[in-house]
Amino acid sequence: MPRFPRRRGARALLLLAGTLTATALGGCTLAPATVQGDRVQSLYNLFLISAAVVFVIVAGLIGWNIIRYRDRGESELPAQTHTNLALELTWWALPTILVIILFTVSAIVLNTNDAQVSNPDLQVKVEGSQWQWTFTYPASGVVVAGTPTSIPELVLPVDEVIDFELVSHDVIHSFFIPHFLVKRDVIPGVDNHLQLTINEEGTYAGQCAEFCGLYHDRMLFTVRAVSQADFTAWLAAQPRSTP
Amino acid sequence: MTTAELEGPRVGTDHAGQRAGIVDYLTTTDHKRIGLLYLFTGIGFFLISGMLAMFMRAELTVPGLQFMDEATYNELFTMHGTGMIFFFASPVFFGFANYFLPLQIGAPDVAFPRLNALTYWLALSGGLIAFSGFFVGGAASFGWTGYAPLSSEIFSPNTGTNLWIVGLIFSGSSGILGAVNFVATVFTMRAPGMTMFRLPIFTWNVLVTALLVMLTFPVLTSALVMLFLDRTLGAHFFDPAAGGSAILWQHLFWFFGHPEVYILILPFFGIVTEIIPVFSRKPIFGYRAFVFATLLIGVLSYSVWAHHMFATGVVDNLFFSITSLTIAIPTGVKFFNWIATMFRGRIRFDTPMLFCIGFLFMFLIGGLTGPFLASPAIDYAVTDTYFVVAHFHYVLLGGSVFAAFAGFYFWLPKMTGRRMDERLGRIHFWTMLIGMNVTFFPMHILGLDGMPRRVADYPASAGWTGLNEIITAGSVVVAFSVLVFGWNLVWNIFLGHGAPAGDDPWEGYSLEWATTSPPPHHNFTHLPPIRSERPVFDARMAARAAAREAAEVARGPASG
Repeated sequence: MPRFPRRRGARALLLLAGTLTATALGGCTLAPATVQGDRVQSLYNLFLISAAVVFVIVAGLIGWNIIRYRDRGESELPAQTHTNLALELTWWALPTILVIILFTVSAIVLNTNDAQVSNPDLQVKVEGSQWQWTFTYPASGVVVAGTPTSIPELVLPVDEVIDFELVSHDVIHSFFIPHFLVKRDVIPGVDNHLQLTINEEGTYAGQCAEFCGLYHDRMLFTVRAVSQADFTAWLAAQPRSTP
Repeated sequence: MTTAELEGPRVGTDHAGQRAGIVDYLTTTDHKRIGLLYLFTGIGFFLISGMLAMFMRAELTVPGLQFMDEATYNELFTMHGTGMIFFFASPVFFGFANYFLPLQIGAPDVAFPRLNALTYWLALSGGLIAFSGFFVGGAASFGWTGYAPLSSEIFSPNTGTNLWIVGLIFSGSSGILGAVNFVATVFTMRAPGMTMFRLPIFTWNVLVTALLVMLTFPVLTSALVMLFLDRTLGAHFFDPAAGGSAILWQHLFWFFGHPEVYILILPFFGIVTEIIPVFSRKPIFGYRAFVFATLLIGVLSYSVWAHHMFATGVVDNLFFSITSLTIAIPTGVKFFNWIATMFRGRIRFDTPMLFCIGFLFMFLIGGLTGPFLASPAIDYAVTDTYFVVAHFHYVLLGGSVFAAFAGFYFWLPKMTGRRMDERLGRIHFWTMLIGMNVTFFPMHILGLDGMPRRVADYPASAGWTGLNEIITAGSVVVAFSVLVFGWNLVWNIFLGHGAPAGDDPWEGYSLEWATTSPPPHHNFTHLPPIRSERPVFDARMAARAAAREAAEVARGPASG
């Protein structure tokens, strides 16, 4: 076996590949705070592992080939092979199998997460407008309205099915709470709903995620998830708008 | 003048050494000159749009608004996207295709040379019109996607928006005409012996791309006309309050917009597929399967548009999920074709090949984050965040732009007769590779952390500051790498200091290497016989065999 001293460039490429993979595995999603988010997290992990495996295989093959078959000044042309049916069928089949698996699991998670009940425990009307949010609890008539200078706080109970009715009267916004691993667009003329069950008490940042004009970046809100008892107490303490 | 005394041709000279003047370029119908016009127009808009991105990075480095207000920032990201997609990537595709498609099929020009000139001038006008918004009180500021109803006359009343629409209509019309021209050229202008399955892969990919353009640009152009009617004549196509639909715009836009992604990547797949075989000294592995994969991507690209709309909640998410995941299969297959081409080859690492290897790694990362976005449940979490920004910059900067630079280093010697400097090329490659990863890799993490795209500012409490500082530092390295390329281009090509390229500096395969650098008017004085997809390779082998035989004949009497 002849020795193949590695070229610096090729080694640096492999090193880069390794570092990127490690970083990819290290950077995972926020700790989810909803039942639905937990499922998204598991699905994400499946995709991440699949992507990492594919990356290591494909990047490894590229790296190995450019090191092993670099030009070392031979005068002969390499064999001019240009096809191999068995190989080609294999590499059509492998990604196909992976896609079928990923789709099947995706479909199960999606159908579970998107399934909506007709009798949610709590209904909240979410109105996006340029450039703030208004949250209404229709059952109790409580309204929390943000202004450009004060960020509204959306108080929600844990362990209840919450139905968000998403309403816009101007442009498209998107109701996004990163810790819930979900967003849903708030579209004028479209009756959109999002149902979630929070399973972790805490305070979470929320923000409009669909560019909605000049002060889009200031369309922030906060979600405070509390126990059902605390939620009932909070709701009772709020001033009611007279209908 | 010392530069004029240097030997060999300079950029802008034809084969006879006659220097072409400005009037020659303004009035030309020659596909090579039009190609050069397109390429340098593309580079110009790349520099402008890149500069807008640098301003954005400056603003985002730390929380708070330091350099500009939101209004300016919103114009910057809108015109950065618009410029890069419509006025950089498309012109560079049209430039390379214009210059090399006729050469690769052994034709003297494209099928409709005057239409070709019109196509270019429409494209340039479109770019100038869209960007002129900066000078009339503010450019468009609703993102390159122009979502309704934000783009209506109520929410975006400025003139810049109308200029954006008109500029894009020019660009769309130009694209349609150019695509018709390329398709007609491939079908009617091939040299004798150049059958469809002997077309170079670049030409195949240009053909499929042109078909995509022909079928999708009319949709965009129509949608823009509808938007223009909404704004100027009160047509209400996209006004939900008057019975129109905001979602309709998204359907029309993405029905164009997703095939557009393939329009922006397939030609660059083609460039990479020209370069990897030449520098591995092997033919492309699995030619027919590669062409089939390209066609399959083209067809599938029409069925995936609404994966951009999963979070709207009004499309059939599962249908668009399976079609979007499926398109990963033919794309993945191409990787194996490229790898198998290098396998047991003899790989040379000249700058064009370095950029192709960079392309393979970067596009691999960009490709692997695609399936996340094709799975609706995950997409709900990461869409419209920096995760998406990272994904499409790995695809378009790591993919298309790396491949475009590979194409420049590979073909500039043919177009100008001068070689680029290899040492500067390597500096350009390594700084760009490192800079782009430092810039865009952390964006995945920012996106997973919930930082939305298209925000001028973010709260200090969000914890995104550290990564944003790293990203800005990375973007400075990318900008530096582009300057290195610019210097290489100016010094070696424009000022003519580069070594003369000769007809065939890389031992190429396709017909452009069978003529002079730059090629004469109407391209060829004679053509080698075309009996495979590598006619110049065949001719080189035949010449070597003949030389060996002649040497043996000469030696014959002495030994016998």
